[in-house]
Amino acid sequence: MRKLVALILLGVLAWPAPASAEHHVASVNLCTDELLLLLASPSQIASVSHLSQQPQETPFWRQARRYKSNDGTLLSVLQQRPDVVLTMGGRGHDRQRIAKRLGIRTVELPYPQTIDDVIASVRLVARTLDRPGAGEKVVASMVALKRTAPSRRLDALYLTGGGLSVSANGLAADWMRLAGLQQRSLRGDRVTLEQLLVAPPSVLLRSNYRSRQYSREQQWLAHPLASRAKARLTLQTDGRLWTCMGPSLVREIPRLRRMLQS
Amino acid sequence: MSARTILALVGLVVLAFALSMALPWSSIDYLFRRDPVLARGLLVELRLPRALLALTYGAALGACGAAVQAIFANPLASPDLTGTTSGAALGAVVTAYLLELASPFALSLGSIAGATGALGLLLALSGPRAETSTLLLAGLAISALAGALTTLALALAPSPFAFYDAYEWLMGSLVDRSLAQAAFALVPAAVAILLLWRQVPALDSLALGEQSAEAIGYDIGRVRLWVVVLTAIGVGACVAICGAIGFVGLVAPVFARRLTGNRPGSAILPAALIGAALLLAADLAVRTAPLGRTLPIGVATAVLGAPFFLWLVTHMRWKLGP
Amino acid sequence: MSPLVTAQDLAIAGRLEPSSLELRAGELVGLVGPNGSGKTSLLHALAGIPPSTGNVRIAGQITKGMHPDHRQRLFTFLPASRDVVWPLKARDLISLALPRGADWAKVAERLDIGALLDRRMDRLSTGERSRVMIARALAPDPRLLLLDEPIANLDPLWQLLLLDELRRLAHDEDKALLVAIHDLRAAAEWSDRLILMSERQIRADAAPSALVASGLIEKVFGVELAGADLRLRLADRQSSP
Repeated sequence: MRKLVALILLGVLAWPAPASAEHHVASVNLCTDELLLLLASPSQIASVSHLSQQPQETPFWRQARRYKSNDGTLLSVLQQRPDVVLTMGGRGHDRQRIAKRLGIRTVELPYPQTIDDVIASVRLVARTLDRPGAGEKVVASMVALKRTAPSRRLDALYLTGGGLSVSANGLAADWMRLAGLQQRSLRGDRVTLEQLLVAPPSVLLRSNYRSRQYSREQQWLAHPLASRAKARLTLQTDGRLWTCMGPSLVREIPRLRRMLQS
Repeated sequence: MSARTILALVGLVVLAFALSMALPWSSIDYLFRRDPVLARGLLVELRLPRALLALTYGAALGACGAAVQAIFANPLASPDLTGTTSGAALGAVVTAYLLELASPFALSLGSIAGATGALGLLLALSGPRAETSTLLLAGLAISALAGALTTLALALAPSPFAFYDAYEWLMGSLVDRSLAQAAFALVPAAVAILLLWRQVPALDSLALGEQSAEAIGYDIGRVRLWVVVLTAIGVGACVAICGAIGFVGLVAPVFARRLTGNRPGSAILPAALIGAALLLAADLAVRTAPLGRTLPIGVATAVLGAPFFLWLVTHMRWKLGP
Repeated sequence: MSPLVTAQDLAIAGRLEPSSLELRAGELVGLVGPNGSGKTSLLHALAGIPPSTGNVRIAGQITKGMHPDHRQRLFTFLPASRDVVWPLKARDLISLALPRGADWAKVAERLDIGALLDRRMDRLSTGERSRVMIARALAPDPRLLLLDEPIANLDPLWQLLLLDELRRLAHDEDKALLVAIHDLRAAAEWSDRLILMSERQIRADAAPSALVASGLIEKVFGVELAGADLRLRLADRQSSP
């Protein structure tokens, strides 16, 4: 009889204790993946979306591959039994309702339009993870960048495949301003080869996103007028950082500043 | 066909080419006054390749269209209706996106292989002496298959941008190509057209019937092979650079045959000139149309060519009876 | 005098057994036989149309591989089909692939197609089309004429006129002609010689009178002869095999 009680006690003690203050978080969006990987402790990460594990999509793919992946749907996330699901954008109303019924909390971040929006997202995720300290560290570096933003800004063009650029009033332009670059306003946020020839910018900020894979967009960049554009200065940047324009750009901006100063 | 007519056609092509380079005039004019070196760059690096490609692709479609129609003894056989351009696009897409061989040379080879496959399949399905209905059905089937496979290949490609490229491959585009790319289309197409010209007497004799042509001394089996190979090369090289453009290969030979008294072989060179003029005109229309956005050139040729195709079919019904 | 045309081992798989024959200049030879006997195939083989095999020599020259201009001066071929693919004008059809310098004005006159020359082939009657196509066969002034059913679509007057012209071409212009004819009576009346075919082989090659006397015609065609002028009537039902 005593042996039986001992066995039962052992069984009860060996049963995994409920994760008291620990959260188990899954992220189903590339941009929230970045925040999760930046701010969470490893045991808090239930899964990240498969995109963050691809080298062509993000620079922190090695870190992402240490964790389980999901394909962005609620179904693929359920196996890991998270209590919170991180996502971005406001399209998944049904998904939220289903998740709530399953006892999972959904935290939906809005698309950031300014640097302050990015700061707010960082704080929100940090709060969800119960790790405010990690959040404030990241925020501090961004605030420092804002403080040291150069006053003199050069006329610039962000350029990626097919002549696609960015809006002069959006988040990308905000980050460029922190580096001392003023994104030119373009019709349709797109530059034509003719424009590149006739009115080249002072600084051409070229994204190398998927530059080695064939597509008509990349072929456009191989045209002599695009590759030999007579900008005063051409800077290469890691295009993967500019997909989400999240806090990882914090390391890229000082590099750009340095190159501009030389 | 008189020398005067040929001269008139050449003049038409030259005019269309010149207009392609000059229009829109305002930007060039302004630029020339401000910075002539820059203006020259614009003309040479942007407008010249585009005009050259329109000229080359149009000529290839016209000449190859006339030759294929002569071989199949059918005014409806053309590179697009026989599935040749779709097959070429499929070949190019598989080579570039799936096999990841993106050099212009590899692209051209892939495109030519696709065109050869499509034409070969057509000959196998319908035979060289097929009725119109058989020919059209086989061509339609091949076009549909090639188009679907092209879209599938793009959807499966590693690069996520690939899917948006489907638009350009299946509807054609002459925009933002470099001079080097234009050369990659021009050289094979010119060679193909010149070699097709050598087949003109044999193709003309085909109008007497295949047996008569053989009795006269032409090896029609060999001529058929030449036409297939040269069409695949000429059309394939152009599709590799610009995607699939339709209807010019159907329309140009019809007009050309009117000028040559319906001799199918002699129509090859006039069809090349007419095709070049047509595509240059279509490109001009697309560029100068006040739509605020650029239309792919395949849309322009389809809008103009499809009604013509319908007219041709109804016109043919009571004209070419038994 | 050696024959103008010697042909050896002419054959087409499944359509013509290996056959050899000779044709002399100045002779109009009629080619007769039931349907499927190989008449068209023999003409094809002489004309060198694939997939036929065999050697053909005309005036001592081998025809295989010859340049079209030279070849057409040696022989021309008229196919059985009167279909037209492209709606050419009659004048343009006759000029197609014609050797340089060929003057066909006289031919046009003899066949009376002057009024048809500027009309489109698809708008002519079958008989008119036939005459235009025959004119094309005659236009290069060849030594040998291979004609497949030339009188098939012509009205009775033109049948006689054409046969008369063919005989004149043989006797007065010293050409050799091999003409496939369905009508046995016409063939016997107008030919200098008859070649009789059945079941993909040449069965006989002789003057018309000799052929009639031999009794082969009844055997090959399965009909009974009545009278020396080659009138035919169906054999009695009882005696048919």
